[in-house]
Amino acid sequence: MPLFADATDPWLTLLQFTVIGLTKGSLFALIALGYTMVYGIVELINFAHGDLFMLGSFVAFTILGLFGVQSAGDPYADAGFVLLCFAAAIPFCAALNVAVDRVVYRPLRNAPKLAPLVSAIGVSFIFMNVGLFWGGSQDVNFPNLVSDDNLFGETAKIRFTAKDLMVIGVTVPLMVALTVFVKFTSLGTAMRATAQNPTAAKLMGINTETVIATTFAIGGALAGAASVTYGLYINTISYQIGFQNGLYAFTAAVLGGIGNIPGAVLGALIIGLVVSLGSVYVGERWTSALVFAILIVILVFRPSGLLGSRTREKV
Amino acid sequence: MALLRIDNLNAGYGPVNVLDNVSLTVDAGEIVAMIGANGAGKTTTLMALSGIVRPRNGSSVVFDGDHIESLPPHEIVRRGLAQSPEGRKIFPRLSVLENLNMGAFTRKDRPGIAADLAKSFAMFPILGERKHQAAGLLSGGQQQMLAIARALMARPKLLMLDEPSLGLAPQIVVQIFEVIRDLNQQGMSVLIVEQNARMALKFAHRGYVLETGRVTMTDAASVLLTDPRVRAAYLGE
Repeated sequence: MPLFADATDPWLTLLQFTVIGLTKGSLFALIALGYTMVYGIVELINFAHGDLFMLGSFVAFTILGLFGVQSAGDPYADAGFVLLCFAAAIPFCAALNVAVDRVVYRPLRNAPKLAPLVSAIGVSFIFMNVGLFWGGSQDVNFPNLVSDDNLFGETAKIRFTAKDLMVIGVTVPLMVALTVFVKFTSLGTAMRATAQNPTAAKLMGINTETVIATTFAIGGALAGAASVTYGLYINTISYQIGFQNGLYAFTAAVLGGIGNIPGAVLGALIIGLVVSLGSVYVGERWTSALVFAILIVILVFRPSGLLGSRTREKV
Repeated sequence: MALLRIDNLNAGYGPVNVLDNVSLTVDAGEIVAMIGANGAGKTTTLMALSGIVRPRNGSSVVFDGDHIESLPPHEIVRRGLAQSPEGRKIFPRLSVLENLNMGAFTRKDRPGIAADLAKSFAMFPILGERKHQAAGLLSGGQQQMLAIARALMARPKLLMLDEPSLGLAPQIVVQIFEVIRDLNQQGMSVLIVEQNARMALKFAHRGYVLETGRVTMTDAASVLLTDPRVRAAYLGE
Protein backbone atom coordinates (compact mmCIF):
# COMPACT_ATOMS: atom_id res chain seq x y z
CA MET A 1 0.00 0.00 0.00
CA PRO A 2 1.58 3.31 -1.06
CA LEU A 3 2.07 5.75 1.76
CA PHE A 4 1.81 9.52 1.77
CA ALA A 5 3.80 10.85 -1.12
CA ASP A 6 4.47 14.17 0.51
CA ALA A 7 2.72 14.76 3.78
CA THR A 8 3.53 18.44 3.69
CA ASP A 9 1.38 19.28 0.68
CA PRO A 10 -2.35 18.70 1.27
CA TRP A 11 -3.14 18.88 -2.44
CA LEU A 12 -0.66 16.14 -3.23
CA THR A 13 -2.21 14.03 -0.52
CA LEU A 14 -5.63 14.56 -2.05
CA LEU A 15 -4.37 13.72 -5.52
CA GLN A 16 -2.51 10.64 -4.30
CA PHE A 17 -5.52 9.20 -2.52
CA THR A 18 -7.80 10.07 -5.40
CA VAL A 19 -5.60 7.94 -7.65
CA ILE A 20 -5.68 5.10 -5.13
CA GLY A 21 -9.44 5.46 -4.77
CA LEU A 22 -10.06 5.29 -8.50
CA THR A 23 -7.80 2.25 -8.80
CA LYS A 24 -9.62 0.43 -6.00
CA GLY A 25 -12.93 1.62 -7.38
CA SER A 26 -12.27 0.10 -10.77
CA LEU A 27 -11.66 -3.22 -9.02
CA PHE A 28 -14.95 -2.90 -7.11
CA ALA A 29 -16.57 -2.09 -10.44
CA LEU A 30 -15.75 -5.51 -11.88
CA ILE A 31 -17.51 -7.15 -8.95
CA ALA A 32 -20.37 -4.65 -8.91
CA LEU A 33 -21.11 -5.39 -12.58
CA GLY A 34 -21.86 -9.00 -11.70
CA TYR A 35 -24.42 -7.92 -9.10
CA THR A 36 -26.07 -5.33 -11.29
CA MET A 37 -26.28 -7.40 -14.49
CA VAL A 38 -27.83 -10.36 -12.71
CA TYR A 39 -30.25 -8.10 -10.85
CA GLY A 40 -31.14 -6.33 -14.10
CA ILE A 41 -32.20 -9.55 -15.73
CA VAL A 42 -33.69 -11.77 -13.00
CA GLU A 43 -34.27 -9.24 -10.19
CA LEU A 44 -32.12 -11.29 -7.85
CA ILE A 45 -29.49 -9.87 -5.50
CA ASN A 46 -26.95 -12.64 -5.91
CA PHE A 47 -25.45 -12.59 -2.43
CA ALA A 48 -23.10 -15.41 -3.39
CA HIS A 49 -21.36 -13.18 -5.92
CA GLY A 50 -18.73 -11.84 -3.51
CA ASP A 51 -17.89 -15.36 -2.40
CA LEU A 52 -17.60 -16.47 -5.99
CA PHE A 53 -14.95 -13.76 -6.31
CA MET A 54 -13.21 -15.16 -3.22
CA LEU A 55 -13.15 -18.69 -4.67
CA GLY A 56 -11.61 -17.29 -7.87
CA SER A 57 -8.70 -15.90 -5.89
CA PHE A 58 -8.15 -19.34 -4.32
CA VAL A 59 -8.08 -20.95 -7.76
CA ALA A 60 -5.29 -18.53 -8.73
CA PHE A 61 -3.51 -19.08 -5.42
CA THR A 62 -3.64 -22.85 -5.81
CA ILE A 63 -2.32 -22.71 -9.36
CA LEU A 64 0.63 -20.59 -8.32
CA GLY A 65 1.23 -23.06 -5.49
CA LEU A 66 1.26 -25.98 -7.91
CA PHE A 67 4.04 -24.29 -9.85
CA GLY A 68 5.88 -23.42 -6.66
CA VAL A 69 5.61 -19.70 -7.32
CA GLN A 70 6.08 -17.78 -4.08
CA SER A 71 7.61 -14.49 -5.05
CA ALA A 72 8.65 -12.56 -8.11
CA GLY A 73 11.32 -14.23 -10.22
CA ASP A 74 11.95 -14.14 -13.91
CA PRO A 75 9.56 -11.42 -15.22
CA TYR A 76 8.61 -13.40 -18.34
CA ALA A 77 7.83 -16.51 -16.35
CA ASP A 78 5.83 -14.40 -13.88
CA ALA A 79 3.84 -12.84 -16.71
CA GLY A 80 3.08 -16.35 -17.91
CA PHE A 81 1.91 -17.42 -14.44
CA VAL A 82 -0.29 -14.33 -14.16
CA LEU A 83 -1.91 -15.08 -17.51
CA LEU A 84 -2.39 -18.68 -16.43
CA CYS A 85 -4.17 -17.48 -13.27
CA PHE A 86 -6.55 -15.36 -15.33
CA ALA A 87 -7.05 -18.19 -17.82
CA ALA A 88 -8.09 -20.50 -14.97
CA ALA A 89 -10.02 -18.20 -12.63
CA ILE A 90 -12.16 -16.53 -15.30
CA PRO A 91 -13.70 -19.70 -16.78
CA PHE A 92 -13.90 -21.26 -13.31
CA CYS A 93 -16.00 -18.39 -11.92
CA ALA A 94 -18.08 -18.12 -15.09
CA ALA A 95 -18.89 -21.83 -15.11
CA LEU A 96 -19.59 -21.96 -11.37
CA ASN A 97 -21.94 -18.97 -11.61
CA VAL A 98 -23.85 -20.55 -14.50
CA ALA A 99 -24.01 -23.87 -12.65
CA VAL A 100 -25.43 -22.24 -9.51
CA ASP A 101 -28.05 -20.47 -11.59
CA ARG A 102 -28.97 -23.71 -13.34
CA VAL A 103 -29.19 -25.78 -10.17
CA VAL A 104 -30.41 -23.29 -7.55
CA TYR A 105 -32.01 -20.18 -9.04
CA ARG A 106 -33.60 -21.45 -12.23
CA PRO A 107 -36.01 -23.86 -10.51
CA LEU A 108 -37.16 -20.84 -8.47
CA ARG A 109 -37.61 -18.52 -11.47
CA ASN A 110 -41.35 -18.17 -10.97
CA ALA A 111 -41.31 -18.45 -7.19
CA PRO A 112 -41.75 -15.38 -4.95
CA LYS A 113 -38.62 -13.19 -5.03
CA LEU A 114 -37.72 -14.06 -1.44
CA ALA A 115 -37.05 -17.72 -2.28
CA PRO A 116 -34.10 -17.20 -4.66
CA LEU A 117 -32.79 -14.42 -2.40
CA VAL A 118 -32.62 -16.70 0.63
CA SER A 119 -31.13 -19.42 -1.56
CA ALA A 120 -28.43 -16.97 -2.66
CA ILE A 121 -27.53 -16.36 0.97
CA GLY A 122 -27.34 -20.13 1.39
CA VAL A 123 -25.01 -20.45 -1.60
CA SER A 124 -22.92 -17.65 -0.11
CA PHE A 125 -22.47 -19.67 3.11
CA ILE A 126 -21.59 -22.78 1.15
CA PHE A 127 -18.96 -20.92 -0.88
CA MET A 128 -17.53 -19.29 2.24
CA ASN A 129 -17.15 -22.67 3.92
CA VAL A 130 -15.53 -24.12 0.81
CA GLY A 131 -13.10 -21.20 1.02
CA LEU A 132 -12.49 -21.89 4.69
CA PHE A 133 -11.78 -25.54 3.93
CA TRP A 134 -9.58 -24.61 0.96
CA GLY A 135 -7.47 -21.82 2.42
CA GLY A 136 -7.89 -22.22 6.17
CA SER A 137 -9.11 -19.60 8.60
CA GLN A 138 -6.01 -17.41 8.43
CA ASP A 139 -5.02 -14.84 5.84
CA VAL A 140 -2.74 -16.34 3.22
CA ASN A 141 -0.09 -14.47 1.28
CA PHE A 142 -0.76 -14.20 -2.40
CA PRO A 143 2.58 -14.19 -4.29
CA ASN A 144 3.73 -10.66 -4.98
CA LEU A 145 4.41 -10.97 -8.69
CA VAL A 146 3.83 -7.40 -9.83
CA SER A 147 6.31 -4.67 -9.01
CA ASP A 148 5.63 -2.05 -6.35
CA ASP A 149 8.11 0.33 -7.96
CA ASN A 150 6.85 3.80 -8.67
CA LEU A 151 6.53 4.24 -12.41
CA PHE A 152 7.36 7.94 -12.03
CA GLY A 153 10.64 7.13 -10.25
CA GLU A 154 11.18 6.64 -6.55
CA THR A 155 11.76 10.35 -5.89
CA ALA A 156 8.52 11.50 -7.56
CA LYS A 157 5.89 13.14 -5.37
CA ILE A 158 3.07 10.95 -6.62
CA ARG A 159 3.17 7.18 -6.50
CA PHE A 160 1.70 5.21 -9.35
CA THR A 161 3.06 1.71 -9.38
CA ALA A 162 3.13 -1.09 -11.89
CA LYS A 163 0.50 -2.70 -9.68
CA ASP A 164 -1.84 0.24 -10.03
CA LEU A 165 -1.26 0.16 -13.78
CA MET A 166 -2.07 -3.55 -13.86
CA VAL A 167 -5.41 -2.94 -12.12
CA ILE A 168 -6.35 -0.23 -14.63
CA GLY A 169 -5.02 -2.37 -17.48
CA VAL A 170 -7.33 -5.25 -16.51
CA THR A 171 -10.46 -3.36 -15.48
CA VAL A 172 -10.78 -0.66 -18.13
CA PRO A 173 -10.53 -2.91 -21.22
CA LEU A 174 -13.00 -5.36 -19.64
CA MET A 175 -15.51 -2.58 -18.98
CA VAL A 176 -15.10 -1.25 -22.51
CA ALA A 177 -15.56 -4.75 -23.94
CA LEU A 178 -18.69 -5.27 -21.84
CA THR A 179 -20.16 -1.96 -22.97
CA VAL A 180 -19.51 -2.77 -26.62
CA PHE A 181 -21.03 -6.23 -26.19
CA VAL A 182 -24.18 -5.00 -24.45
CA LYS A 183 -24.73 -2.03 -26.75
CA PHE A 184 -23.78 -3.28 -30.17
CA THR A 185 -24.30 -7.04 -30.43
CA SER A 186 -27.54 -8.87 -31.02
CA LEU A 187 -27.14 -10.97 -27.86
CA GLY A 188 -26.30 -7.85 -25.84
CA THR A 189 -29.41 -6.10 -27.12
CA ALA A 190 -31.43 -9.23 -26.32
CA MET A 191 -30.01 -9.01 -22.81
CA ARG A 192 -31.29 -5.45 -22.40
CA ALA A 193 -34.62 -6.43 -23.97
CA THR A 194 -35.01 -9.35 -21.54
CA ALA A 195 -34.22 -7.04 -18.62
CA GLN A 196 -36.88 -4.55 -19.72
CA ASN A 197 -39.66 -7.01 -20.49
CA PRO A 198 -39.02 -10.76 -20.30
CA THR A 199 -42.41 -11.73 -21.74
CA ALA A 200 -41.99 -9.46 -24.74
CA ALA A 201 -38.47 -10.82 -25.20
CA LYS A 202 -39.89 -14.35 -25.38
CA LEU A 203 -42.44 -13.18 -27.93
CA MET A 204 -39.54 -11.95 -30.07
CA GLY A 205 -38.16 -15.49 -30.17
CA ILE A 206 -35.43 -14.78 -27.64
CA ASN A 207 -34.57 -17.83 -25.56
CA THR A 208 -34.51 -15.95 -22.26
CA GLU A 209 -32.89 -18.85 -20.38
CA THR A 210 -29.90 -18.65 -22.73
CA VAL A 211 -29.75 -14.92 -22.15
CA ILE A 212 -29.86 -15.40 -18.38
CA ALA A 213 -27.12 -18.05 -18.49
CA THR A 214 -24.98 -15.69 -20.59
CA THR A 215 -25.50 -12.97 -18.01
CA PHE A 216 -24.37 -15.23 -15.16
CA ALA A 217 -21.38 -16.31 -17.26
CA ILE A 218 -20.30 -12.73 -17.92
CA GLY A 219 -20.84 -11.67 -14.30
CA GLY A 220 -18.83 -14.69 -13.13
CA ALA A 221 -16.05 -14.04 -15.63
CA LEU A 222 -15.71 -10.45 -14.42
CA ALA A 223 -15.57 -11.67 -10.82
CA GLY A 224 -12.87 -14.15 -11.84
CA ALA A 225 -10.81 -11.41 -13.46
CA ALA A 226 -11.32 -9.22 -10.39
CA SER A 227 -10.24 -12.01 -8.05
CA VAL A 228 -6.84 -12.53 -9.68
CA THR A 229 -6.29 -8.78 -9.93
CA TYR A 230 -7.18 -8.45 -6.25
CA GLY A 231 -4.73 -11.14 -5.21
CA LEU A 232 -1.90 -9.56 -7.20
CA TYR A 233 -2.77 -6.08 -5.95
CA ILE A 234 -3.49 -6.64 -2.26
CA ASN A 235 -1.31 -9.77 -1.83
CA THR A 236 -3.42 -11.11 1.01
CA ILE A 237 -6.48 -13.30 0.57
CA SER A 238 -8.74 -15.19 2.92
CA TYR A 239 -12.12 -16.87 2.90
CA GLN A 240 -13.58 -13.57 4.14
CA ILE A 241 -12.55 -11.29 1.26
CA GLY A 242 -15.74 -12.12 -0.61
CA PHE A 243 -17.93 -10.81 2.17
CA GLN A 244 -16.36 -7.38 2.55
CA ASN A 245 -15.59 -6.71 -1.10
CA GLY A 246 -18.96 -8.14 -2.07
CA LEU A 247 -20.72 -5.74 0.26
CA TYR A 248 -18.73 -2.78 -1.05
CA ALA A 249 -19.49 -3.81 -4.63
CA PHE A 250 -23.14 -4.36 -3.79
CA THR A 251 -23.29 -0.89 -2.24
CA ALA A 252 -21.67 0.48 -5.40
CA ALA A 253 -24.31 -1.21 -7.55
CA VAL A 254 -27.13 0.20 -5.43
CA LEU A 255 -25.50 3.64 -5.38
CA GLY A 256 -25.29 3.72 -9.17
CA GLY A 257 -28.77 2.28 -9.62
CA ILE A 258 -29.09 -1.48 -9.40
CA GLY A 259 -29.56 -3.00 -12.84
CA ASN A 260 -27.75 -0.11 -14.52
CA ILE A 261 -24.33 -0.99 -16.01
CA PRO A 262 -22.73 2.49 -16.23
CA GLY A 263 -24.28 3.14 -12.82
CA ALA A 264 -22.37 0.23 -11.28
CA VAL A 265 -19.07 1.59 -12.61
CA LEU A 266 -19.84 5.12 -11.40
CA GLY A 267 -20.98 3.82 -8.00
CA ALA A 268 -17.85 1.69 -7.66
CA LEU A 269 -15.54 4.60 -8.44
CA ILE A 270 -17.34 6.69 -5.81
CA ILE A 271 -17.08 3.89 -3.24
CA GLY A 272 -13.38 3.52 -4.10
CA LEU A 273 -12.89 7.23 -3.46
CA VAL A 274 -14.87 7.11 -0.23
CA VAL A 275 -12.79 4.18 1.05
CA SER A 276 -9.52 5.81 0.04
CA LEU A 277 -10.17 9.43 1.02
CA GLY A 278 -12.08 8.31 4.10
CA SER A 279 -9.04 6.46 5.34
CA VAL A 280 -7.03 9.69 5.22
CA TYR A 281 -9.50 12.30 6.34
CA VAL A 282 -11.79 10.31 8.63
CA GLY A 283 -9.76 7.33 9.68
CA GLU A 284 -9.26 3.81 8.40
CA ARG A 285 -11.53 2.21 10.97
CA TRP A 286 -14.49 4.30 9.80
CA THR A 287 -14.40 3.35 6.14
CA SER A 288 -16.89 0.50 6.41
CA ALA A 289 -19.22 2.69 8.44
CA LEU A 290 -18.94 5.43 5.81
CA VAL A 291 -19.74 3.02 2.98
CA PHE A 292 -22.79 1.62 4.73
CA ALA A 293 -23.94 5.09 5.73
CA ILE A 294 -23.97 5.86 2.00
CA LEU A 295 -25.96 2.69 1.38
CA ILE A 296 -28.57 3.73 3.93
CA VAL A 297 -28.78 7.32 2.69
CA ILE A 298 -29.23 6.11 -0.90
CA LEU A 299 -31.89 3.57 0.06
CA VAL A 300 -33.81 6.21 2.02
CA PHE A 301 -33.57 9.20 -0.31
CA ARG A 302 -32.93 7.82 -3.77
CA PRO A 303 -33.61 4.08 -3.89
CA SER A 304 -33.34 4.08 -7.69
CA GLY A 305 -29.68 5.16 -7.38
CA LEU A 306 -27.75 7.87 -9.19
CA LEU A 307 -28.34 6.62 -12.72
CA GLY A 308 -31.16 4.18 -12.04
CA SER A 309 -34.23 4.33 -14.18
CA ARG A 310 -37.65 4.96 -12.76
CA THR A 311 -39.38 1.89 -11.40
CA ARG A 312 -40.07 -0.72 -14.03
CA GLU A 313 -42.57 0.19 -16.72
CA LYS A 314 -45.83 -1.64 -16.33
CA VAL A 315 -48.75 -0.84 -18.56
CA MET B 1 -55.87 -27.12 -44.86
CA ALA B 2 -56.04 -24.51 -42.14
CA LEU B 3 -52.87 -22.56 -41.38
CA LEU B 4 -53.77 -22.66 -37.68
CA ARG B 5 -56.06 -25.21 -36.11
CA ILE B 6 -56.79 -25.14 -32.39
CA ASP B 7 -58.75 -28.02 -30.89
CA ASN B 8 -59.91 -28.10 -27.28
CA LEU B 9 -57.42 -25.56 -26.03
CA ASN B 10 -57.42 -25.46 -22.24
CA ALA B 11 -55.17 -23.07 -20.37
CA GLY B 12 -55.06 -20.99 -17.23
CA TYR B 13 -52.97 -19.79 -14.36
CA GLY B 14 -52.21 -22.18 -11.52
CA PRO B 15 -55.38 -23.94 -10.48
CA VAL B 16 -57.59 -21.44 -12.33
CA ASN B 17 -58.86 -22.43 -15.75
CA VAL B 18 -59.38 -19.53 -18.13
CA LEU B 19 -59.96 -21.33 -21.41
CA ASP B 20 -62.54 -24.07 -21.71
CA ASN B 21 -62.05 -26.19 -24.83
CA VAL B 22 -61.51 -23.35 -27.26
CA SER B 23 -61.46 -24.48 -30.89
CA LEU B 24 -60.68 -22.17 -33.76
CA THR B 25 -59.14 -22.16 -37.22
CA VAL B 26 -57.42 -19.58 -39.35
CA ASP B 27 -56.98 -20.27 -43.06
CA ALA B 28 -54.09 -18.87 -45.05
CA GLY B 29 -54.94 -15.39 -46.29
CA GLU B 30 -57.72 -14.76 -43.77
CA ILE B 31 -58.30 -12.07 -41.18
CA VAL B 32 -60.01 -13.73 -38.22
CA ALA B 33 -61.32 -11.65 -35.33
CA MET B 34 -61.88 -12.89 -31.81
CA ILE B 35 -64.16 -10.62 -29.84
CA GLY B 36 -65.33 -10.75 -26.27
CA ALA B 37 -65.59 -8.85 -23.04
CA ASN B 38 -62.74 -8.06 -20.71
CA GLY B 39 -61.66 -11.28 -18.99
CA ALA B 40 -63.22 -13.61 -21.56
CA GLY B 41 -59.84 -15.23 -22.25
CA LYS B 42 -58.80 -13.54 -25.49
CA THR B 43 -55.31 -12.60 -24.34
CA THR B 44 -54.86 -15.97 -22.63
CA THR B 45 -55.67 -17.63 -25.96
CA LEU B 46 -52.93 -15.70 -27.75
CA MET B 47 -50.46 -16.22 -24.89
CA ALA B 48 -51.16 -19.97 -25.00
CA LEU B 49 -50.61 -19.99 -28.76
CA SER B 50 -47.28 -18.20 -28.27
CA GLY B 51 -46.23 -20.67 -25.58
CA ILE B 52 -46.06 -18.07 -22.79
CA VAL B 53 -48.96 -19.77 -20.98
CA ARG B 54 -48.62 -23.56 -21.19
CA PRO B 55 -51.65 -25.22 -22.78
CA ARG B 56 -52.97 -28.01 -20.55
CA ASN B 57 -52.84 -31.68 -21.50
CA GLY B 58 -55.25 -32.61 -24.25
CA SER B 59 -54.98 -29.27 -26.01
CA SER B 60 -54.03 -29.43 -29.66
CA VAL B 61 -52.54 -26.57 -31.65
CA VAL B 62 -51.44 -27.34 -35.19
CA PHE B 63 -49.65 -24.56 -37.01
CA ASP B 64 -48.52 -24.94 -40.61
CA GLY B 65 -48.78 -28.73 -40.30
CA ASP B 66 -46.90 -29.15 -37.00
CA HIS B 67 -48.04 -29.54 -33.41
CA ILE B 68 -46.78 -26.54 -31.45
CA GLU B 69 -48.70 -26.81 -28.17
CA SER B 70 -45.69 -28.01 -26.20
CA LEU B 71 -42.97 -25.93 -27.87
CA PRO B 72 -41.14 -23.11 -26.07
CA PRO B 73 -41.95 -19.54 -27.21
CA HIS B 74 -38.77 -19.04 -29.24
CA GLU B 75 -39.46 -22.17 -31.29
CA ILE B 76 -42.98 -20.98 -32.01
CA VAL B 77 -41.72 -17.62 -33.30
CA ARG B 78 -39.13 -19.43 -35.42
CA ARG B 79 -41.92 -21.39 -37.09
CA GLY B 80 -43.65 -18.20 -38.16
CA LEU B 81 -46.22 -17.38 -35.50
CA ALA B 82 -45.56 -13.86 -34.18
CA GLN B 83 -47.55 -11.62 -31.89
CA SER B 84 -48.02 -7.95 -31.20
CA PRO B 85 -49.05 -8.23 -27.55
CA GLU B 86 -51.66 -6.42 -25.52
CA GLY B 87 -50.36 -3.17 -24.09
CA ARG B 88 -47.76 -3.15 -26.91
CA LYS B 89 -44.88 -4.25 -24.63
CA ILE B 90 -42.26 -2.42 -26.64
CA PHE B 91 -38.80 -2.18 -25.05
CA PRO B 92 -38.93 1.42 -23.77
CA ARG B 93 -35.20 1.98 -23.31
CA LEU B 94 -34.16 0.39 -26.59
CA SER B 95 -34.20 2.57 -29.69
CA VAL B 96 -36.92 2.12 -32.28
CA LEU B 97 -34.38 0.44 -34.55
CA GLU B 98 -33.23 -1.92 -31.79
CA ASN B 99 -36.85 -2.85 -31.08
CA LEU B 100 -37.30 -3.76 -34.74
CA ASN B 101 -34.07 -5.74 -34.77
CA MET B 102 -35.27 -7.71 -31.75
CA GLY B 103 -38.34 -8.63 -33.79
CA ALA B 104 -35.97 -10.29 -36.26
CA PHE B 105 -33.98 -12.05 -33.52
CA THR B 106 -34.66 -15.56 -34.84
CA ARG B 107 -33.57 -14.66 -38.37
CA LYS B 108 -30.07 -14.80 -39.79
CA ASP B 109 -30.67 -13.54 -43.36
CA ARG B 110 -29.19 -10.04 -43.14
CA PRO B 111 -30.33 -8.84 -46.59
CA GLY B 112 -33.88 -10.01 -45.86
CA ILE B 113 -33.87 -8.22 -42.49
CA ALA B 114 -32.63 -5.01 -44.11
CA ALA B 115 -35.37 -5.26 -46.73
CA ASP B 116 -38.03 -5.78 -44.05
CA LEU B 117 -36.70 -2.80 -42.09
CA ALA B 118 -37.09 -0.66 -45.19
CA LYS B 119 -40.63 -2.02 -45.55
CA SER B 120 -41.45 -1.11 -41.93
CA PHE B 121 -40.26 2.44 -42.48
CA ALA B 122 -42.25 2.68 -45.72
CA MET B 123 -45.35 1.45 -43.89
CA PHE B 124 -44.84 3.72 -40.86
CA PRO B 125 -42.62 6.67 -41.93
CA ILE B 126 -42.66 8.12 -38.41
CA LEU B 127 -40.72 5.06 -37.18
CA GLY B 128 -38.01 5.79 -39.73
CA GLU B 129 -37.81 9.42 -38.68
CA ARG B 130 -37.46 8.48 -35.03
CA LYS B 131 -35.46 5.25 -35.41
CA HIS B 132 -32.61 6.32 -33.12
CA GLN B 133 -34.87 7.55 -30.31
CA ALA B 134 -35.80 5.48 -27.27
CA ALA B 135 -39.07 3.70 -28.02
CA GLY B 136 -40.51 4.83 -24.69
CA LEU B 137 -40.59 8.39 -26.05
CA LEU B 138 -43.05 7.50 -28.84
CA SER B 139 -46.73 8.39 -28.53
CA GLY B 140 -49.23 5.60 -27.87
CA GLY B 141 -50.21 5.32 -31.53
CA GLN B 142 -46.59 5.27 -32.63
CA GLN B 143 -45.80 2.59 -30.05
CA GLN B 144 -48.64 0.49 -31.47
CA MET B 145 -47.20 0.92 -34.96
CA LEU B 146 -43.82 -0.14 -33.59
CA ALA B 147 -45.33 -3.21 -31.90
CA ILE B 148 -46.94 -4.31 -35.18
CA ALA B 149 -43.83 -3.55 -37.24
CA ARG B 150 -41.70 -5.42 -34.69
CA ALA B 151 -43.90 -8.53 -34.94
CA LEU B 152 -43.68 -8.33 -38.75
CA MET B 153 -39.88 -8.30 -38.54
CA ALA B 154 -40.07 -12.03 -37.71
CA ARG B 155 -41.53 -12.42 -41.22
CA PRO B 156 -44.40 -14.47 -39.77
CA LYS B 157 -46.83 -16.68 -41.64
CA LEU B 158 -49.53 -15.66 -39.19
CA LEU B 159 -49.63 -12.34 -37.38
CA MET B 160 -51.49 -12.21 -34.06
CA LEU B 161 -52.61 -8.81 -32.82
CA ASP B 162 -53.85 -8.30 -29.28
CA GLU B 163 -56.02 -5.19 -28.86
CA PRO B 164 -54.26 -3.00 -31.42
CA SER B 165 -56.83 -0.23 -30.87
CA LEU B 166 -56.45 -0.06 -27.09
CA GLY B 167 -56.16 3.51 -25.83
CA LEU B 168 -55.78 5.10 -29.26
CA ALA B 169 -57.59 8.05 -30.82
CA PRO B 170 -60.28 7.04 -33.37
CA GLN B 171 -58.35 8.33 -36.42
CA ILE B 172 -55.28 6.35 -35.36
CA VAL B 173 -57.42 3.24 -34.89
CA VAL B 174 -58.68 3.55 -38.47
CA GLN B 175 -55.12 4.04 -39.70
CA ILE B 176 -53.93 0.91 -37.86
CA PHE B 177 -56.77 -1.20 -39.23
CA GLU B 178 -56.11 0.04 -42.76
CA VAL B 179 -52.51 -1.11 -42.39
CA ILE B 180 -53.77 -4.51 -41.23
CA ARG B 181 -55.99 -4.75 -44.30
CA ASP B 182 -53.12 -3.76 -46.60
CA LEU B 183 -50.91 -6.42 -45.03
CA ASN B 184 -53.66 -8.98 -45.52
CA GLN B 185 -54.05 -7.99 -49.17
CA GLN B 186 -50.34 -8.67 -49.59
CA GLY B 187 -51.02 -12.20 -48.33
CA MET B 188 -50.55 -11.98 -44.55
CA SER B 189 -52.88 -14.11 -42.42
CA VAL B 190 -54.08 -12.29 -39.32
CA LEU B 191 -55.67 -13.35 -36.03
CA ILE B 192 -56.89 -10.28 -34.22
CA VAL B 193 -58.27 -10.00 -30.71
CA GLU B 194 -60.32 -6.91 -29.96
CA GLN B 195 -62.72 -5.31 -27.55
CA ASN B 196 -63.53 -2.84 -30.30
CA ALA B 197 -65.79 -5.44 -31.90
CA ARG B 198 -67.31 -3.18 -34.53
CA MET B 199 -63.92 -2.24 -35.97
CA ALA B 200 -62.55 -5.76 -35.85
CA LEU B 201 -65.61 -7.32 -37.52
CA LYS B 202 -65.66 -4.63 -40.19
CA PHE B 203 -62.16 -5.59 -41.32
CA ALA B 204 -62.23 -9.35 -40.65
CA HIS B 205 -63.46 -12.20 -42.83
CA ARG B 206 -64.67 -14.37 -39.99
CA GLY B 207 -65.23 -13.89 -36.30
CA TYR B 208 -65.42 -15.83 -33.04
CA VAL B 209 -67.22 -14.67 -29.91
CA LEU B 210 -65.52 -15.71 -26.68
CA GLU B 211 -67.46 -15.68 -23.40
CA THR B 212 -65.86 -16.77 -20.10
CA GLY B 213 -63.36 -18.97 -21.87
CA ARG B 214 -65.73 -20.63 -24.35
CA VAL B 215 -66.41 -19.98 -28.01
CA THR B 216 -70.13 -19.24 -28.06
CA MET B 217 -70.57 -18.11 -31.65
CA THR B 218 -68.67 -18.22 -34.89
CA ASP B 219 -69.63 -17.00 -38.34
CA ALA B 220 -68.69 -14.73 -41.20
CA ALA B 221 -67.82 -11.31 -39.82
CA SER B 222 -70.61 -9.65 -41.81
CA VAL B 223 -73.15 -12.05 -40.28
CA LEU B 224 -71.90 -11.42 -36.74
CA LEU B 225 -72.14 -7.66 -37.34
CA THR B 226 -75.87 -7.98 -37.95
CA ASP B 227 -76.55 -10.64 -35.30
CA PRO B 228 -78.91 -9.18 -32.68
CA ARG B 229 -77.09 -10.86 -29.74
CA VAL B 230 -73.73 -9.55 -30.91
CA ARG B 231 -75.22 -6.13 -31.52
CA ALA B 232 -76.70 -6.03 -28.04
CA ALA B 233 -73.68 -7.40 -26.20
CA TYR B 234 -70.71 -6.00 -28.10
CA LEU B 235 -71.81 -3.19 -30.36
CA GLY B 236 -73.74 -1.24 -27.76
CA GLU B 237 -77.04 -1.24 -29.63
